[in-house]
Amino acid sequence: MNIAHYIPLFPFLAFVINIFMGRRLKVASAYVSIAACVLAFIFSLLVFQGFSAGQGSYSLGTWLVINGKSLNFGVIVDPLTIMMLLIVTFIGCFILIYSIGYMHDDPRFSRYFAYISLFMSSMLGLVLADNFILLLIFWEGVGLCSYLLIAFWYERPAAAAAGLKAFITTRIGDTGFLVGILILFFACGTFHFTDLKSVTGPESLLTLAAILIFTGAMGKSAQFPLHVWLPDAMEGPTAVSALIHAATMVAAGVYLVARCFPLFSAHPMALQTVAVIGGISALMAATIATVNNDIKRVLAYSTISQLGLMMLGLGVGGLSAGTFHLMTHAFFKALLFLCAGSVIHAVGTQDIQKMGGLLSKMKITGATFCIGTLALAGVPPFAGFWSKDEILLTAWNNHHPILFVVALLTSFLTAFYMARLIFLVLFGSARSQLHAHESPLTMTIPLMVLSVFAAFAGFIGAPIKEVGMEAHGGSFLIMAISTVVSLTGLGLAYLLYIRRIVLIPVSSVSGLHNLLVNKYYIDEIYDYVLIKPCLRLCQGSFVFDAKIVDGLVNAMASITQFFSGLLRKTQTGLIQNYLFVQILSLVLLLIWLLKI
Amino acid sequence: MGDFVFYFIALCTCVFSVLAVTQRDIFHCALWLALTLMSISGVYFYLDAAFLGVVQILVYVGGIITLFIFAIKLTAHMNDTSIRQTSKQWVISVFVTLLLLLVLFKVFARTSWAEIILKTDSTSINQIGLSLMTHYALPFEFMSVILLAAMVGAIVIGKEKK
Amino acid sequence: MIPLVYFIFLSAFLFCVGIYGALTRRNVIGILVSIELILNAANINLVAFNKYLGTPDGMGQVFSLFVIAIAAAASVVGLILIIAIYRDRKALFTDGFTLMKE
Repeated sequence: MNIAHYIPLFPFLAFVINIFMGRRLKVASAYVSIAACVLAFIFSLLVFQGFSAGQGSYSLGTWLVINGKSLNFGVIVDPLTIMMLLIVTFIGCFILIYSIGYMHDDPRFSRYFAYISLFMSSMLGLVLADNFILLLIFWEGVGLCSYLLIAFWYERPAAAAAGLKAFITTRIGDTGFLVGILILFFACGTFHFTDLKSVTGPESLLTLAAILIFTGAMGKSAQFPLHVWLPDAMEGPTAVSALIHAATMVAAGVYLVARCFPLFSAHPMALQTVAVIGGISALMAATIATVNNDIKRVLAYSTISQLGLMMLGLGVGGLSAGTFHLMTHAFFKALLFLCAGSVIHAVGTQDIQKMGGLLSKMKITGATFCIGTLALAGVPPFAGFWSKDEILLTAWNNHHPILFVVALLTSFLTAFYMARLIFLVLFGSARSQLHAHESPLTMTIPLMVLSVFAAFAGFIGAPIKEVGMEAHGGSFLIMAISTVVSLTGLGLAYLLYIRRIVLIPVSSVSGLHNLLVNKYYIDEIYDYVLIKPCLRLCQGSFVFDAKIVDGLVNAMASITQFFSGLLRKTQTGLIQNYLFVQILSLVLLLIWLLKI
Repeated sequence: MGDFVFYFIALCTCVFSVLAVTQRDIFHCALWLALTLMSISGVYFYLDAAFLGVVQILVYVGGIITLFIFAIKLTAHMNDTSIRQTSKQWVISVFVTLLLLLVLFKVFARTSWAEIILKTDSTSINQIGLSLMTHYALPFEFMSVILLAAMVGAIVIGKEKK
Repeated sequence: MIPLVYFIFLSAFLFCVGIYGALTRRNVIGILVSIELILNAANINLVAFNKYLGTPDGMGQVFSLFVIAIAAAASVVGLILIIAIYRDRKALFTDGFTLMKE
């Protein structure tokens, strides 16, 4: 029984119900969304079970026929899809539950759940699509929902601007993606993922197609140089940041690369690009995160960094390593964002310099926050350790020493900034007057459940890989190195932020510090190099349009008006004038017709 | 003798009709119109259409002209002879009308009337009655509806508004 | 016997007189008078042709009757409109009615 294609329909139904009847449903709209999500999760489980019994991909019918090649409404069911389905629906459920508490007094409560449901529908459709075109449709769908939810509080100019920035930035990547798809079709005549294993075509063209497809992934997964939208996307509700901008949608780029992995692995240059971009993003974002003071932005940079790490993992040839990290990251990053949301909910600020000592006031949030941090920092035996280790191992085994060092450095920085975050937020003493309190149960239960997974999800992947690890002698060494690096990062943060030992005075590295605080001036560079000239061009076009195009149109209108003004004089309004003209015409007509 | 009667009636008709459209006083116009219509009924009599001639006098002179006179009297102060009664375009209208007349006459002159086989058997009142009740029954009924509508409409429009 | 064409000439003359009146009279009642003349011109044609072409069922005369009836109806409605306009605007001159221009 093929039931996979029903999965996206449940959230879509919830979207339709909420968008049309949301005002009447009020709080019940949340239950509609949650019910739809639970059903989708159950169906995903059924698909998972069915897959073990030998279910595969199937088609729902032909969509188009191009040059004799048919494009199907196809559904792909393989371990990657099932993993994504389970992550989206499972984490989605808990984030929806969390949102009841987080959004409880928002005037657009039902609208929020409608958007989230639409997002989940699109995301599930995205992972089920078996060809590029179908995937692109859902890809744009999640982009739309991302935009709507980032700009959810559109009364705030910053949120509206952030939504626009996210939409436009990802759109740049999407354009490349579309061109890539078309080049691929041009080169080998297929849109279907299943055909990618056996595509043949001009080497350079396929490499180009792969790199362009990766551009789409760069936009969606916020990789350098298209990463600028993700930190600003934190203007949206925190639950949205957790679901869309940490766990699922931004992982779509990684998913895309994993999905097209046969194409990438056949072309080393494309694969190399993925790895290098991933490495740059990972290191760059991690360094920025070490100095940022906004709790959500630290996590956002961390997300960029971790996504970069996944890309790096894929780029060095580790398909399972990258996707495994995707899964574990989804759990602990969603957890961390929800914790951050809980903290923000409690203290009403996002500045970590103003927080401190919150562990005693918010025990559940604090404890789960710590678990998430340890998982992200890669401390054994938490989830992040296993997946990160997998990436390091793959990089080492496939002889990419530079990328290995980059990944190692990133994990060091990750441990450092995450430790800094929790030390500043949870430990020490309060640095301002904050009336913190524990969040309601709807918010803490998802935290607890997700923390369990953040702690133990790593074991799902670990035992399977153990067989492989025995084969490589260096694996235990790398595990040890990774652990030491993580602990060093934690320890350094402890010295700096708990003990307050000044190792290096900030003034001596103020240049570097400024560079990091200003995010390498990338936004400023974009503003100067791209946005300003673009706006100037727009202004020029506007003037051209207003003066010349409109001028021409207005001139036409004036000429017409002038002549009609002349003609208007014939309309005297006197019936006898009209009658006279009528008779005169009759006479002239008679003369002409009868040739008198 | 018969020819003379026709010429006389035709002359009367022409003169009266010209007077009916050119007189300054609109009341005189109505009276000249009455005379024109009576002359035309004379034409009908001459053409052996006695019934039509009678109807012409009864309906036109007895009915419509009376209505005209009522209307003229009700709008009394419009009929002062010191007010200009012809529009500014009268000179050119004379020209165009004459041109039209000329064109029509030329058309008639060009027509070969000789080809028409003349029959001079007259239509009796009896025949008209039969036609109205048989072959033309439907237009006849429509006519009554139109007259009724005109009457109702006249009453509705003519009613003083409160 | 008078030829048929004489009647046609008479009718054409009456028609032209009616047209002239309709074109030149300022008073609306005068225009109605002219229209009556035009209708009668048509009637003369109908009756003359009826006589000279010898239509057995008296078609021409029957149509003349219809024309007279229509003329009566038109006069009634026209005159009552004139009276209504007069009540409203205290004027009956065509060059005063240019509402449609605006």
